[in-house]
Amino acid sequence: MDDFISLEHMVKVYPPRVLAVDNVSVGFQKGEIHSIVGENGAGKSTLMKLLYGLVPFDSGVVKINGAAVHFRKPGDAIAMGIGMVHQEIELISQYTVWENVVLGAEPVRGGIGGTLDSARAIELVRRKIDEFQFNLDPSAQVERISVAALQKVEILKLLYRNVSVLILDEPTSVLTPQEIPQLFAELKRLRDKGTTILFISHRLDEVLELSDRITVMRRGKKIATVAASETDKEALAEMMIGRQVIFTSKRTPHPRGDRVFEAKGLSVTRHDGLKLLDNVSFSVHAGEIVGIAGVEGNGQFELVNSVMGLAAPTSGSITVNGGEITKLSILERRKLISFVPQDRGKMGASLPASILDNAIMTHHRLEPRFSAWRGLVLNYRNARAFTDTLAKRFSVQMASRQSPFRSLSGGNQQKLILGREFLLSTPFFLMDQPTRGLDVGSIEYVHGEILSMREANRAVLLISADLEELFLIADRILVMHRGRIVADLVAEQTNIEEVGRYMLEGKITA
Amino acid sequence: MNIIVGLITGMISGATPILLAALGGAFTFYAGIFNIAMEGMMLMAAFFAVLGSFLFHSWLVGLLFAIAGAMILALIFIFFSVTLNTDEFVTGIALNLFALGSTTYLLRQIFKVKGVFTSKLIDSIPNIHFPLIEKIPLLGPVVSGRNLIVYLAVIATIFCYYLVFKTRFGLRLRAAGYNPNSLDSSGVRTSRMRIQSLLLCAVFCGLAGAFLSLGYVTLFAENMTAGRGWISLAAIILVDGHPYGIALISLLFGFFDGLGLFLQGYGVSSQFTSMVPYIATLGALYVYARRNRERERNAL
Repeated sequence: MDDFISLEHMVKVYPPRVLAVDNVSVGFQKGEIHSIVGENGAGKSTLMKLLYGLVPFDSGVVKINGAAVHFRKPGDAIAMGIGMVHQEIELISQYTVWENVVLGAEPVRGGIGGTLDSARAIELVRRKIDEFQFNLDPSAQVERISVAALQKVEILKLLYRNVSVLILDEPTSVLTPQEIPQLFAELKRLRDKGTTILFISHRLDEVLELSDRITVMRRGKKIATVAASETDKEALAEMMIGRQVIFTSKRTPHPRGDRVFEAKGLSVTRHDGLKLLDNVSFSVHAGEIVGIAGVEGNGQFELVNSVMGLAAPTSGSITVNGGEITKLSILERRKLISFVPQDRGKMGASLPASILDNAIMTHHRLEPRFSAWRGLVLNYRNARAFTDTLAKRFSVQMASRQSPFRSLSGGNQQKLILGREFLLSTPFFLMDQPTRGLDVGSIEYVHGEILSMREANRAVLLISADLEELFLIADRILVMHRGRIVADLVAEQTNIEEVGRYMLEGKITA
Repeated sequence: MNIIVGLITGMISGATPILLAALGGAFTFYAGIFNIAMEGMMLMAAFFAVLGSFLFHSWLVGLLFAIAGAMILALIFIFFSVTLNTDEFVTGIALNLFALGSTTYLLRQIFKVKGVFTSKLIDSIPNIHFPLIEKIPLLGPVVSGRNLIVYLAVIATIFCYYLVFKTRFGLRLRAAGYNPNSLDSSGVRTSRMRIQSLLLCAVFCGLAGAFLSLGYVTLFAENMTAGRGWISLAAIILVDGHPYGIALISLLFGFFDGLGLFLQGYGVSSQFTSMVPYIATLGALYVYARRNRERERNAL
C-alpha cells in the first residue's frame, strides 16, 4: 500500500546547532493510527510541527498522495485536510461549544460584519457530533465542561473543517485514567471511518493499546517503524532510550526505623458539610516508603494541603518526630518536610526565574550560608556553588545557571526540584505525583532517587495515581476513597487488582 | 416642568460624547487592547472638527476632519502597539499627551489665539426637529430638537450591540480578547481584529470629539475634553464593555454633569459643581463593587 503522507529526509536545525530532526523519513497510510514515540526532546513534536507548517524545516520533502506540498502556515495544512491538536488546549472558555467550533469558518447570512446564522451553525456542529458519536452538547458553555470534553471540542473543530488527518500531541497527558479509554474508543471510531491519526506520546502502554504502527524516535533520529502487534513495551523502551529499561522493582528489603510522621483523626469539612478528608490516621516510619493510591479527587489534595499548611484541617493533628506541626507556619514545617508538589510549574518552581534561583529556594531561608547582612542580601557565591553541586549530583542538563527554569525539559525540571528537596536535611519527604509527565528514562531515575532516600532512613509519603509505580517502590500502600483511608496493605501481600478494587469501590465485596 | 426638561436635555448632551467614546473603546476592550487613548482621540477630533468646519464652512467636512484627526492617533497606536508590540498603557499615555500638546500648539499656530478659538465662520452640526413629535408636552422638547450626533449615538449603541454579539465580526473580535492563540489557530489573525477595533474606535471618538466642538458648543478650547475620555474608560470597565450598560453609565454621568450646571445657576460655585460627576462615578463604582462581592458570595 502506498503511503498517503510521506516525509522524506526531513531536517530541522534550531540555531545555533541543535539538530532537532535529523534526516527522518517516514510514511503514514490512510486510515491508520500511527504513534510517534520518544523521550521528551526526541523530536517527535517537532517532526509533526514540520508537517503541519507550524515550524519551517531546513530540508526535506513532504508529499501527500505522492505530490510534494509545502505548508507555510497551519491554515495551509488545514486546507489540505491535516489538523493538529496541541498539548495545551486553546479554546475560548467564555464561548459555547459551537461558537468555538465554527470560529474562523462561521456560517453567515450576510449584512454588515456578517450576521451569524447560529441556528445553522448549531445544526452543522450537532451533525458532526452525531456522526462521530462524541456525546457533546453544542450549546454547552466551554468553561463548564471537563478536560476530556475540551479535547473533544478541539478535535471537533478540526473535523468541522473536514480534515482527514489528525495529529494529536500527547492528548492523554491532561486526562484522568478513567477518561483515556473513552478517548481511545473515539479515536478508533474515527480511524474506522477513514481518518488517519498521528499520535504523539511517550506512554508505551497507551501506544501499544491504541496504534496500528509505531515510529520510535531518539535524539532527532528515527530508530524504527514497527507494527504494534509485533513489538512490546520492553523492546520499545529499549529503542527509545538506547538501553534496557528495567520495569521490575529494584527494591531490596530495608528495616524500618522509628515512627517519623503521624496523622491522627485528620478531617477537612467543606462549608456545605461534605467531608473531603474523613478521620484519616496513619504513620510513616524512617526508611519506609508509604504509597497513597486512589482515584484523583478522593482527598489527596486536602491531605497534602493539611500536611504542608496550605489549608488548615477542620480537626485532627499531625506530628513529625513527635512534635505537633498543625500550628506551625509553612516555613517552620519546611524545616521538617521536603515537598515535591504535583504541579512543577506552579508550586514546585518559578518558571521565569533562573535555575539558580529555583535551586536555592527554601534553602535560602533555612540556611544562613546563602544570605548575608541578616538575610537582606543573598550570598551568590555559595548559591552558585550549591547549584553546581545540585546539578552534578542529580545530573540536571542545563545551558547555564542563569537560564530560566522554563528552558529545562520536564525531566530535568523534576530532577532539579527533587534534588533541591533531597538536599534539605529533613526527616520526612512528601511527594505528590513526582513522575507525572516524565518519560521512561526520567521516571526510572526518580524512582532510584526515592529508593535512595529510603536507604538514607528518611520517611517517604508518595501520592501517586500510577499503581505500577506504587508497586515498584512502595513498602506499604494506603488506598484513599471518598476522603477515607479504606485499606492499609503491605506491597508484597497484595496485588494491583485488589488495590484497584479498593480504589473504585472503597471496600472489597465478596 | 421646564426644569425637568432642562435637566434631561442637559443629561443627554453630557452623556453623548462619553457614550460615543466608550462605544469606540468597547471595540478595543473586546479585542483585548488596553486602550486609554480615547481622551486623546476625542481631543484631536474636536480640534480637527473646528478646523475643517472653519476652512470649508461645512459641518460635514468638519465631521470628516474629526474622524481623520482621531484616525491619526489610531494609526500611531496601531504602529506602535500592534506592529512594534510596545506596551499599550505607555503608548496610550504618550498619545494623550501628544494630543494635548499638538492641539494646543496648532491652535496657536493656525488660529493665533490662546485658550479658546471661535468664529462666525464655523458651521456647527445642526439640531434635528421632528415637527409632529415636538408638539407632545414634556416628551416633545426632549426627543425633538437634539443635535444630529445625539441621534447618531442612539443608533450607534444598538449597532454596536448587534455588531459585537450577533455577527461573525463580533465573534472574532471577542475571541481576540478572550484567547488570541485560539483565534490565531482558527485561521484568523488576531492582529487584524485589533487593528480593525482601533479604526472603529477612532471613528466613534471622531464623532464624540465633533459633538464637543461643533454640537455642544461651537468653539475649540485647550483640553476641552476635560477627562471625558477617562470617564468613558471607566464606563467600559464598569460594565465589561456591554453597549447597553455603557449607555446607562453615560446617562448617569450626563445627569450629574447637567445637575452640576444646573446648581451653578443657583449660586453653587462652579469649582464645586464640576466635582459632582466624578463623585457620582466613585459612588457608582462603590455600588458596583458591593454588588459584585455579594454575587460572588452567593455563587459559592
